[in-house]
Amino acid sequence: MKRLNRRTLLRGGGGLALSLPLLEAMLPSASAQAVDTPRRILFEFKANGDQTARRFTATGETTFAFDEFLAPLEPYRSELLILNKLSRRYNLLGDKRSDGHQQGGASLAPWESGEGSYPIGGKEGVTIGYVLGPSADHEIGERVLAVNPTVKYRHLVYRVGQKNNDIWNMHSHAGPVGTQNPVQPETDPYAAYARIFSFGTDDAAAQAEIEKRLLKKQSALDLVLDEAGSLQSKLGSADRARIQQHMDALRDIERTLTGGNGAAGCMPFDLGAKLDPYKDDNHEAIGKLFQKISVLAFACDLTRSINFNWSGNTSNRVYRNLGLEEGHHDISHNSADDAFAKIRSIHKHLWTMSTSLYDALKAVPEAGGTLWDNTLVVHWNELGQGDTHSENDAMVILAGGAANYFKRGRYLDFQNKLTMADMLVSCFHYMGFDDVLKWGDDRLNDGAPLPGLTA
Amino acid sequence: MSSRIFPAALLLALGAAAYGCQGNIQGNAPAPSPGATSGRQTPEQALASAACAKPAPGAAPLRRLSNAEYRNTVQDLLADVSGIGPAVALASKDFVDEAESLGFRNNVDFLGVSSLIAQGYMDSAEALAPLVANTDKLVGCTTADAACAKQFVESFGKRAFRRPLLPEEVARYTAVYDKAAAKGFDFKTGVEWIVFAMLQSTEFLYRVELGAAKGTSYVPSQYEIANRLSYLIWQSMPDQALFDAAERGELGDKKQIEAQARRLLKDPKAARLLEYFDQWLDTDRLSAMDRDANVYPGIAANLPELLQNETHAFVSYLLQSPNGSLSELLTAQYSFLNADLAKHYGMTGPTGPAYERVDMPGRSGVLTQGMLLSHDKPTRTSIVRRGLKVRLDLLCEKVPAPPNNVQLNLEGLGDGLTQRERLEKHRTDASCAACHTLMDPIGVVFEGFDAVGRARTMDEGGKAVDTSSTITATRDLDGAVANAAELGQALANSQEVRDCYVLQSFRFFYGRDYTDADQCSMAKLMIAFRDHKQSLAELIVSLTQTDQFLYRPAPEVQ
Repeated sequence: MKRLNRRTLLRGGGGLALSLPLLEAMLPSASAQAVDTPRRILFEFKANGDQTARRFTATGETTFAFDEFLAPLEPYRSELLILNKLSRRYNLLGDKRSDGHQQGGASLAPWESGEGSYPIGGKEGVTIGYVLGPSADHEIGERVLAVNPTVKYRHLVYRVGQKNNDIWNMHSHAGPVGTQNPVQPETDPYAAYARIFSFGTDDAAAQAEIEKRLLKKQSALDLVLDEAGSLQSKLGSADRARIQQHMDALRDIERTLTGGNGAAGCMPFDLGAKLDPYKDDNHEAIGKLFQKISVLAFACDLTRSINFNWSGNTSNRVYRNLGLEEGHHDISHNSADDAFAKIRSIHKHLWTMSTSLYDALKAVPEAGGTLWDNTLVVHWNELGQGDTHSENDAMVILAGGAANYFKRGRYLDFQNKLTMADMLVSCFHYMGFDDVLKWGDDRLNDGAPLPGLTA
Repeated sequence: MSSRIFPAALLLALGAAAYGCQGNIQGNAPAPSPGATSGRQTPEQALASAACAKPAPGAAPLRRLSNAEYRNTVQDLLADVSGIGPAVALASKDFVDEAESLGFRNNVDFLGVSSLIAQGYMDSAEALAPLVANTDKLVGCTTADAACAKQFVESFGKRAFRRPLLPEEVARYTAVYDKAAAKGFDFKTGVEWIVFAMLQSTEFLYRVELGAAKGTSYVPSQYEIANRLSYLIWQSMPDQALFDAAERGELGDKKQIEAQARRLLKDPKAARLLEYFDQWLDTDRLSAMDRDANVYPGIAANLPELLQNETHAFVSYLLQSPNGSLSELLTAQYSFLNADLAKHYGMTGPTGPAYERVDMPGRSGVLTQGMLLSHDKPTRTSIVRRGLKVRLDLLCEKVPAPPNNVQLNLEGLGDGLTQRERLEKHRTDASCAACHTLMDPIGVVFEGFDAVGRARTMDEGGKAVDTSSTITATRDLDGAVANAAELGQALANSQEVRDCYVLQSFRFFYGRDYTDADQCSMAKLMIAFRDHKQSLAELIVSLTQTDQFLYRPAPEVQ
């Protein structure tokens, strides 16, 4: 068998990849182990805040101790950097925001909210809108593409369990600054897998069919781009911009049509019996499929930026698997002890699932180590604590080897003096974009990455 | 009825009501009393103003087809393909939902095309194109050569682009055929490639309007008017009769357009208007309904579908009835049930799968159908969210956001109390009361119906329900109501609710929010809605008679 040939790949194949066997050609070779190992970032979201007083039982920089719901992280403590008590400062945005969930849900895109989409909050007489700028996952991906033309996807955006899109559950935004442009996430892992993965074949007939489809697609893209260009010349500026966005999307597809990567770990996997992505019982299984897809997308260097969400913010999922009867958001607005016990059980469950991502990253060999060594997982939430919609007390946990950029195994308390936006600046720097000194609205930034994080 | 039909901050206030808790969460700012706003102009005054002396259309941005419009369009375009319905559903099953704006999924500002969406179009086109190539009636000629391909481009292209193709467009698509032929592929492959490209074309995926000057104004072309009509009423492409009318120049005046609108309304495809009601009333969200089997044992698994069908049957009836008014929509003490739903409600009558009219005393139109259940909880009704739904989407008001860093303990107060009592206790805190006064007093009225829509006298906790309430902070329906039927009557009699309905219709059918530039069209709609006694069907016709529909803004000077 031969090694993977660029020519043999055709993405967006609608399931073609699933029927193909694992090929020897997919296995690693020495040349595939690039000298310059890419750095990746994955933002992982959990909803509705937690219980700020019950995160830790001890808070020394290296002698910290996890309380109950963070206990699943104990085996990984040396590989984590805990950032406690970051502020969001959203009250500084005045009426350019809805409630804490909405603006907290925009923590990766810490801009003012626009107008015109939802009648809760905002200034008098005007409805509130989506945030007016891009999220960090999008901007990081944009910058990665600019300097790494072989990377196929700017970013991937996944959400478990909920198909509809509104100002509460969309956490990724494409911008540009001043524009409401939320990015709809992928919610079906089977479709998501088929969209980005395609593995080669040695079967001549199948190969001919792939090449025919490629010709058809290229022919259509050429035509549609040409035609859209003609249309643009007849339109006013706002409509020209709409068509331009469409043309940019087509060029994104064009870039992904061909080419591949034979790196270690870039191998198809079996998604198993098909589950309904929107059936509540399948929440954990669907989430884990998205984790595996994320890991494979990194392994194949299809993207270096992923925005993964266990739910939208304000999620009212009922965790029946934990014996709960009420929705997550409803419980989070109950300040009683027994309600907090339920919140802790939800978070313990979600953190346990987070560690399966760690294990999946650790299972993929890369450059003498594993993917985990070159990946940063950024855990975040739209609130500190749900029952108060706290804008303070945000907790971010940075996980992963992250190319040894951060000094791990530590707990840092920022006493709400620095912000989530500052944290994002640190993420840009980790990814190699250290010209970024602020991300989002000026008032939410301090002009520098968080101090004391790096090795 | 007073001659002062529009007492409040009418036109300019439509974008957001002037009533509410004024964004003051501390609760020390009482809501203004209705009518206190200094009088703005009535619709008649607006229409008589200089601003409306000549055609005054608002913006007409380039619109991408919404997912519903795409599916309907492909369905109609490929109607000759056998089994096209399931094929379209399958081809577009991975389309991502549009980002919602003001409760609708067709706002032009959120119909941008990301790479994920463009990929969806490509995959769908790839699935559908061979079906066209294999359907002789669509291919239209049998010579299987370049001439036949050109003929196909012209005939199919005219329907796909919903206007005749320009010569350069015909050349562009026949060149695709030539490219396939040059590679040695057969005729069907060539046709498939043409369709594959056309279904991804911006001319297909968008409703392109270039318009033309007419005197000192600008109007859509005849084909563009045909599209405006069909997308407004059918949520889809024009039929042959509309194309023919456009070809003959018979869509040039308001009467011709009105006659076409009435024809379209009588067609079965007008059932696609239910998309508007589904999105406005949230009956499209019923599928996500999640109820605890211990609290609601024995509930049919397909209850969400039954409830959505109920509202569909009811609204369809109103759209087809001369008396089908907003008032009837909100007050009808009857509904449409099939045997399964009748059993669920504990009613008798229907014995089969068809939905039949059944008298239901105590009910109040859509208010007591599936609409509110989309806002309930797994184990109980939600007074707050039911009230919020009415406040936001039937009154078109807004409420302030809750404050940050303050305990928002909605759930934890008062074990052993009813939900109503718990919320009353909650509202003794002024900071909570300011906004909950806007929601809770409306929501409690619906306590006579449980979270699966059945009439009840006892709540989930076995306590007697109390549905009496006093509505406050509205423009014109403040006062005591005893139950849902009385609230329905109050809403039906409210000018605020009527204005809101017209605004919601404006937003959905024109695909964007109202702006000040739309005041002439809005005034016209309000007058027409009043003159037609709030007829639902007549408002649809009226939407085709406004400046917004009949004209285009002057093109931007480049």
